[in-house]
Amino acid sequence: MALLEIRGVGKRFGGVQALQDVSATVHRGEIVGLIGPNGAGKTTLFNCISGVESPDAGRITYDGRDLAGMSPHGRARLGIARTFQNLQLFGSMTVLENCMVAFDAFARRGMVGDALRMPWARFEERRARERAQAMLHFLDIERVAGLRAQDLPTGVQRRVELARALCLRPALLLLDEPAAGLDADETAELAGFLRSARDRLEVSMLLVDHDMSLVMRVCDHITVLDFGRVIASGDAPAIRSDPVVITAYLGEAA
Amino acid sequence: MVTATVRRWGLVAAGIVFAAWIPAFFDFSLHGLATNAAVTALLALSLVLLTGFVGQVSFCQYSFAALGAFTVGSLVVGHGVSFWLAALLGTAFAGVGGVLVGIPALRLRGLLLAVLTVAVALFVDVFVLTPGTWDGLTNGSTAWTNIGYPSFLGRQLESYTFYLFALGVFLLAALLVWNMRNGKTGRVLRAVRDSEVASSTLGLNVAAWKLAAFGVSAALAGLAGALKAVADASVAGGSQSAYSFQYSVALVASITVFGAGSIFSAAVAGFFIIFAPQALDMTPLSHQWFPLILGVILIVQLVFNPEGVVVKAEHDVAHALRAAAARRRGVAGPPASEAA
Repeated sequence: MALLEIRGVGKRFGGVQALQDVSATVHRGEIVGLIGPNGAGKTTLFNCISGVESPDAGRITYDGRDLAGMSPHGRARLGIARTFQNLQLFGSMTVLENCMVAFDAFARRGMVGDALRMPWARFEERRARERAQAMLHFLDIERVAGLRAQDLPTGVQRRVELARALCLRPALLLLDEPAAGLDADETAELAGFLRSARDRLEVSMLLVDHDMSLVMRVCDHITVLDFGRVIASGDAPAIRSDPVVITAYLGEAA
Repeated sequence: MVTATVRRWGLVAAGIVFAAWIPAFFDFSLHGLATNAAVTALLALSLVLLTGFVGQVSFCQYSFAALGAFTVGSLVVGHGVSFWLAALLGTAFAGVGGVLVGIPALRLRGLLLAVLTVAVALFVDVFVLTPGTWDGLTNGSTAWTNIGYPSFLGRQLESYTFYLFALGVFLLAALLVWNMRNGKTGRVLRAVRDSEVASSTLGLNVAAWKLAAFGVSAALAGLAGALKAVADASVAGGSQSAYSFQYSVALVASITVFGAGSIFSAAVAGFFIIFAPQALDMTPLSHQWFPLILGVILIVQLVFNPEGVVVKAEHDVAHALRAAAARRRGVAGPPASEAA
């Protein structure tokens, strides 16, 4: 069953057609790869799905619901989480606090409950802390829980962003270049985490990356963008041998 | 076993006792200054919430205070309404004013937001605080004088007890803000400050949280204004206005010097803004030198210690207390203290 359906989406910035008639589907339990050269429109498509930008044309439906006009926080509450190509951690906060923020939108308590330290506020605080800790354990970064996010190396920061996004307990996770800045070992480890997140946390994913070792390893289905258009779509072996994709993106070496 | 935390709160308690007790040995004019210090600390606290937590600048906190003060002046003197109701209304008006300023501020950051708040402050100075604007509402009076001390729990307050009341209001507000900072609210506001886009994709309504911060901050400023109207016994617009733009600038400068992220620095800033000019009057200089000296301190501090004097001192004191506690347990202190 289709969780996310993108149909004919277009987006123009001034004279640049960033996306043109882009269609793609993410089924439940699937990891879908989105690849293409720089400037192909991958991040723009992510921004359209997460609500940071709105498309000029086309339709994006999530779980059968049209997302048009819905705010980013509304989409997040429906279960769409994302990470960012240029990391967007809360730099001055600890890793644990970064993850706890993912529970705050769902907490019933507000400013007044906090100010008066009401019992339910303290209860929810404790529960958010425990759940965030459990997620850090799942991704094996418990040891940095108390450190400030901005003090960590890029590889760990990427892992923290993944943990924070997963704390939202999303049904759909949008990953924008999660392997950028990671070495080969870290990328292999990331692939393992993504697969176990899909299997154990039941998260479907849309993944953008230039690292073909990651994309080919974890993706059930791959869509290739070039100059804002879909030029190919299929499973990993089919994409790897597609002559159009090789010319536009992979090059002869692949 | 006395922990560092207990000793730290011990220092705070000692500070509160001194602040409450020392003015008792002086006359009403010092009581007025001390009340103004507590009021200014409350204004500084409103800025800590807005600037320190959410990272929004405001050069119009005194304009929000003016809303509170003018509400008290006009209702108490002009219409015989009780101070308590007037203070409540003034606080609420200021809160609404904060939300209204917050709406255009949603799309602005940094310099442009600063310019917007300067514009609001100048608008309030030139339009709202100018004699004649409200003649229709106030029967021609542009200043309200002889605002008396209210009674509290059946007891008529006078200069010293009203100071204690103002100090209590500040401490209560500081406690509430402290709790907010340590709970979800503080975390969410810092998240919004650090990355709005990440906050929104984690399900937070960034606009609502920023408006709430503007509203609460302005309401605290309005409450401060309501107290200041009583402390000064009068509210006046025009050239003698105690709510004009220059005071908001001094407030921002002071809270930057002491550290916008700290609730303690609000208390220090309140004391400093009121008593430093008094201290200057005892030297060959006069209080007119205060803005210049504040400016110089601000520049020096921004170059050498950008996080703020009080924030730095808090770290140093916390470090020293932990080291002392560790020595008492017979454990070596933190490596940093052994570096020599």
